[in-house]
Amino acid sequence: MKLRNTVIQEQDAARIHEILSHFLGDSGAVEALLIDRAGQLMAMEGDSQALDAVSISALAAAAYSSTAAMAQLLGEPEFSVLFHEGTKRSIHVSTVDDDAILLAIFDHRTTVGMVRLLAGEATRAIGGVLGEARVRPKPQAEFGVPLNETESRAAWTPPS
Amino acid sequence: MSVINYAQRVIDFKIVYYGPGMAGKTANLQYIHRCLPNGNRGNMISLATGDDRTIYFDFLPVTALTVRGFQTRFQLYTVPGQVQYNATRRLVLRGADGLVFVADSQFERLRENVESLRDLEANLREYESTLDEIPYVLQYNKRDLPNLAPLSYLEFVLNRRAARVPFFEASAIDGKGVFETLNTVSRMALASEFGVGRERRNEAS
Repeated sequence: MKLRNTVIQEQDAARIHEILSHFLGDSGAVEALLIDRAGQLMAMEGDSQALDAVSISALAAAAYSSTAAMAQLLGEPEFSVLFHEGTKRSIHVSTVDDDAILLAIFDHRTTVGMVRLLAGEATRAIGGVLGEARVRPKPQAEFGVPLNETESRAAWTPPS
Repeated sequence: MSVINYAQRVIDFKIVYYGPGMAGKTANLQYIHRCLPNGNRGNMISLATGDDRTIYFDFLPVTALTVRGFQTRFQLYTVPGQVQYNATRRLVLRGADGLVFVADSQFERLRENVESLRDLEANLREYESTLDEIPYVLQYNKRDLPNLAPLSYLEFVLNRRAARVPFFEASAIDGKGVFETLNTVSRMALASEFGVGRERRNEAS
């Protein structure tokens, strides 16, 4: 499948924020990360002070991809849920659409069943938002004009 | 593929370092990790075997310039080079916005370079993509070692295309060519997001 660029406008971000906030409030999960299947973090909600969300996103997308590849070896199109149980915190990952997954981190204050149930609702709602965002043309104000020389300069200077 | 986030004013790109086993893909990321200050990079993650061979990928997120009000961020990945890990190479390749093919310049590794390049093209086809569509550079690594294939020969074997891509001589273990490679591929990925698109592919060759 050909992957699509994603442009998340402010109104999309607000709707995703609302969906994830409700999901956390209703499910009792402590963190929710919306992740592009290529491994990029698109949005997150929760008490994320000490969380290396960028690394978790890359690892979760990789784990999800390898699980999907295993599913195909069994003749399944995909395993739609991935669950890792820890002693204090656990991770639940579910499919949003072909290009995104939702990762929830939860602890003893809720159950995997509750998280799973409400993640289903949240992923359907987020899938709708992302679907609309992906068919919208890229804003021309910022992206319609090629980069100038200053904007194309080297980003990093090698150590001398 | 890139994610443009207006709420956070960031653009995220994925750059994948591809190439045969032991060509120096991980060494590139390790050098970048060593040289960039903490504020410009995140943690480096290496999923490796006990003897430090990459089994899934290495991962290093780095931040770059702010362009038109957007902070640009690049997530650097390597693939496992060993032949038997093709399934995992294909997974890491998913959604790449830019590619670096790290070739081993030693004569005796030419066959592995060619096989790995073919493998890259085959894996891209799985995503309905080609090397002509993705910002892509070549790095001829290990130029510090004896028994090197001449640059012109490497170019003939690995960069024989209608529009040659930029290439760099490197010795990733001591950093030579590492940032030149990264700056070019990131600039090409960034340029492809704006206006009519990417830099001419033969600009640096």
